[in-house]
Amino acid sequence: MMKHLLYILLFALLALSCTKEVIIEVPGYEEALVIDGRIETGQPPIVLLSSSREVYAPTDLDAYLQSNISGATVTVSDGTNSIVLDEICSDNLPPGTEELAASMLGISIDQLENFTICAYTSLNNAIFGQVGKDYYLTVEYGGSTYSGTTRIMNPTPLDISFWQSEPDTPNHGYSWATLSDPADQFDAYFWEIKRLNGAASDDNFTPTFNPVFNDEFFDGLTFDFWYENPNAFGPETPSNFAGMYPLGDTVLIKFSKLDPSVFEFFEKKYVQVQTAGNPFATPTNIPTNLSNGALGIWAGFSPSYDTLICLP
Amino acid sequence: MRFLSLTIFLFVANTSFTQSISQTYTLSGYVTDAKSGESIFGAKVFIPSIKKGALTNNYGFYSLTVPSGKYVVEFRLSGVQTKKKEITLNSDVRYDMELGESIQDIDEIKVVANADQNTNSTQLGSHELDIDEIKTLPAFMGEVDIIKTIQLLPGVSSAAEGGQGFYVRGGGPDQNLVLLDEAVVYNAAHLFGFFSVFNADAVKNVNLIKGGMPANFGGRMSSVLEVSMNEGNNKKFLVKGGIGAISSRITVEGPLKKNKGSFVLSGRRTYIDLIMKAAISDTSPFAGSSYFFYDMNLKMNYKLGDKDRLYLSGYYGKDEFNFGNIEDGFSVDMPWGNGIAALRWNHLFSSRLFMNVTGTYTNYLFKFGSAQDQFRFELNSGISDWGGKVDFSYYPSTRHTLKWGLDYTFHTFTPISVSAESNDVEFDTGLAQKLISHESAAYVLDEFDLNEKIKINAGIRYSTFQHVGPFTRYFKGDGISTQDSTRTYEKGDLIQFYHGLEPRISGRIKLNKNSSIKAGYAYNYQYVHLTSLSAVSLPTDVWYPTTSKAKPQQGWQTSLGYFKNFNQNMFETSIEFYYKGLKNLIEYKEGALPNDNVNDNTDNLLVFGTGWSYGTEFFIKKKKGKFTGWIGYTWSKTERKFPDLNNGVPFPAKYDRRHDLSVILSYKLNERWVFSSAFIYATGNTLTLPSSWYVQDQDLLFNYGPRNSTRMAPYHRLDLSATWYSKAYKEQKNLETGETIKVKKKVRSNWAFSIYNVYNRANPYFLYVDNDGDFFSGNFDISIKQVTLFPIIPSVTWNFEL
Repeated sequence: MMKHLLYILLFALLALSCTKEVIIEVPGYEEALVIDGRIETGQPPIVLLSSSREVYAPTDLDAYLQSNISGATVTVSDGTNSIVLDEICSDNLPPGTEELAASMLGISIDQLENFTICAYTSLNNAIFGQVGKDYYLTVEYGGSTYSGTTRIMNPTPLDISFWQSEPDTPNHGYSWATLSDPADQFDAYFWEIKRLNGAASDDNFTPTFNPVFNDEFFDGLTFDFWYENPNAFGPETPSNFAGMYPLGDTVLIKFSKLDPSVFEFFEKKYVQVQTAGNPFATPTNIPTNLSNGALGIWAGFSPSYDTLICLP
Repeated sequence: MRFLSLTIFLFVANTSFTQSISQTYTLSGYVTDAKSGESIFGAKVFIPSIKKGALTNNYGFYSLTVPSGKYVVEFRLSGVQTKKKEITLNSDVRYDMELGESIQDIDEIKVVANADQNTNSTQLGSHELDIDEIKTLPAFMGEVDIIKTIQLLPGVSSAAEGGQGFYVRGGGPDQNLVLLDEAVVYNAAHLFGFFSVFNADAVKNVNLIKGGMPANFGGRMSSVLEVSMNEGNNKKFLVKGGIGAISSRITVEGPLKKNKGSFVLSGRRTYIDLIMKAAISDTSPFAGSSYFFYDMNLKMNYKLGDKDRLYLSGYYGKDEFNFGNIEDGFSVDMPWGNGIAALRWNHLFSSRLFMNVTGTYTNYLFKFGSAQDQFRFELNSGISDWGGKVDFSYYPSTRHTLKWGLDYTFHTFTPISVSAESNDVEFDTGLAQKLISHESAAYVLDEFDLNEKIKINAGIRYSTFQHVGPFTRYFKGDGISTQDSTRTYEKGDLIQFYHGLEPRISGRIKLNKNSSIKAGYAYNYQYVHLTSLSAVSLPTDVWYPTTSKAKPQQGWQTSLGYFKNFNQNMFETSIEFYYKGLKNLIEYKEGALPNDNVNDNTDNLLVFGTGWSYGTEFFIKKKKGKFTGWIGYTWSKTERKFPDLNNGVPFPAKYDRRHDLSVILSYKLNERWVFSSAFIYATGNTLTLPSSWYVQDQDLLFNYGPRNSTRMAPYHRLDLSATWYSKAYKEQKNLETGETIKVKKKVRSNWAFSIYNVYNRANPYFLYVDNDGDFFSGNFDISIKQVTLFPIIPSVTWNFEL
């Protein structure tokens, strides 16, 4: 809610101001390794490596795809099992996985075929995510070693999810849920959704605009809250239906628990995504649980799932 | 300790010198304005035959002890006819003087202090401005603004375009002691910093000390800005006011009892809300959004007798911002403001011993209330101070002024208090952070002539600070192996105690009649901090006291200056060098967010560091003639070093400016027209921008470069103004003699025309990185955008007096 204050001040300011593009020197760029790693309950670890780009560098997809890094040695350990992950590249994908890989990267299959993009994973189920375990990541690349640790927390499922229409829009409404937060412990949550509407189903889970929160203000409480539909924005959605699910939609909610350092990464990440450019916000470098100057995150997710059918 | 020994030696030596003079008597009294009866600060009482004199203090009191004899005494004030009086001193004499009305119908730019103060006083880095001087300068949107004028002086920088925050010689905006009739003002700004809380109609004079702070001031490290309110006319009732582009104001003043006491009441209100209401239609989703501010000043004074006077001063101002979005069911109510009161009692124990007792109350409150559907949120932040002090001034001889006093403040800080609820569920937002503390100080200072050429002002201040309970200290756990815990202190428990000695010394060596060299050293403790999460000053900036974690800020400054007057004091010039060292400065740690303050102590989120600043200031001022004005230029460098920020590498302060130039000119064409201009050039402020981007989970993210490593384009601007005065007099025939005589008009008025930013310079207010498009659709673009606030803005204000 306090972020609203920043938006309002920005609104008041922009009402008075004018804006123009300028070219100005921004010193301090040093190429850094970016680690985007994730491990979920029952899933293999997946790690993407890339490098950061100077702020004035071209920002097309090619630039990003070209920054993808192969040839690294990536190891994941749970303290008992230590597995060197396999490098799987787009020019060497197992048959039938192209669509999944393209979807994970947010690109088309055509683009996938034009670039060699590598990810690191293992199908050895000894290293699949398990609740309550700590996972240690080590990346060796370019003569340097980078490491990080994450934990898969105990999940806290939603008590119930429900759909509720708004007074002015009887056929549209937000997704609601009741949560009983465990008392006397740190809890952080991450909300993603995937619509299951037959042919119009989503391939992947999509986080909402501000999908992460912790229990600092409601430790041990049971309460209702709502989230918008992240796919219902933009020119194709009438403004009075923005952020709402239409009557009859089926939505799979993925409600994950995070450890504190992963929560902090995502909290600051979404603050930056939402306040970039706002002068009333602090320039926020996103903290990481990775060592040796690497950017990104090694994130343990502990999801529980709930199917929401948008009916009164 | 060597400093203390020197002080004692000088004091004893000087006292012995004083005692060697026999048969001395004291001439003392008050100097007041003949027109209004208000006391005059800075008038010079001078005996030419022995070349001895004294200046009136803030209350118009002077004391001059000289050998017995018959003297012609002159009472001098710039812009006012000097008065002479023959006085025989064979005993102590009390003589009050009224100085006449201004010679000019239109007050030309003038300096209140005596003409040779520039080279005579021991004070370095000091500027005294008369409010009439400020009123003739170009005004932003027609609002005459004290703080914006202060920002035009060398060594003083503005925080940002149009902002009220000011930085003195590399110090932060919280390091300025802003006093309104001796009461502390914590937030001197309206409208997110664009306007000052000081209504120019309610202000008598303004004094800025930016170097060599005397020992009677303390609690801040960089500067003292003393603002004195008008006392009110004790001879007749007057009404004056003005109607401007965004606000109007009115002042009523008059005698409570003729020649005994007076009052003045001023009020000001903006009508931005009415403009917004007209601009936003009832059907707009933003209907109901509005902003306005108002403020009121009240001052009363009363002579209880020849030896006692009472002054009561009050200020209340409030900003009210409302925002609503009907479509989203979202609303915000955001009021903030200051309430200030000061009660002062002057007492003359004798013609040589003057006492002032002051009781003050200061309150600053900021609220933010928001609602969206079933969700309610409220945030409060504020400060409440009760203070008392007693100051003595003792004038044993013309060569010697001794001051001492005690100062005490009871602080209650509420950095942040939050409540939130959704339907019937009330969220746990922790305990309201309330911090209670006692701040006190004692000082003694002595200003004395060591000989005809050397004058010294030496003093020492001893200050203490106690943080006491009730208080809850949070210890944050990591969330897995340790949980949050708290320690509670009961009411009155002493949590932390700090104290320190603050030596101050400044001296002047007179080289000849028109030039002098001055040097000074001051050490200061500051027990309050201003915490700011944003790149610009906001009412949301939180004042936070010294605690066991946030140690008192400490600073020292040394300065050296050469001062010279030309052409019979028509021109004042000076060049000053300074070096300032600061420690225990605070910043929020990397990545801190506003909501981190909730359920925690703010000082758990802070990191601590040091700073330094050095520079040179050039100043030339023309005080007399049709052309008046000044040129100020500053070269400076200001840096900070925090072990926990920027990898421990020193970085420039955000207001680090290598060059700062102000050229202020005023031309009085005739009795009806005055033209003024102000040109400003300053090196651009620094800021932190992203130096690289990377992708995580299909989101493009930024990584920021070194702190404050990017510098915005230089700031420059020209403002012009013209003021047209109605005729002050009308001609009338004397029916008895047939002569044509001038009679003062009952109603006088003027039109003040201003143009802000004449050549429409697009000055940077801030820069940001803008990212448009969809990265994965191939139409993504990153660019750096500059936001400019104010284009060319003409304005007109009509002022009247009756």
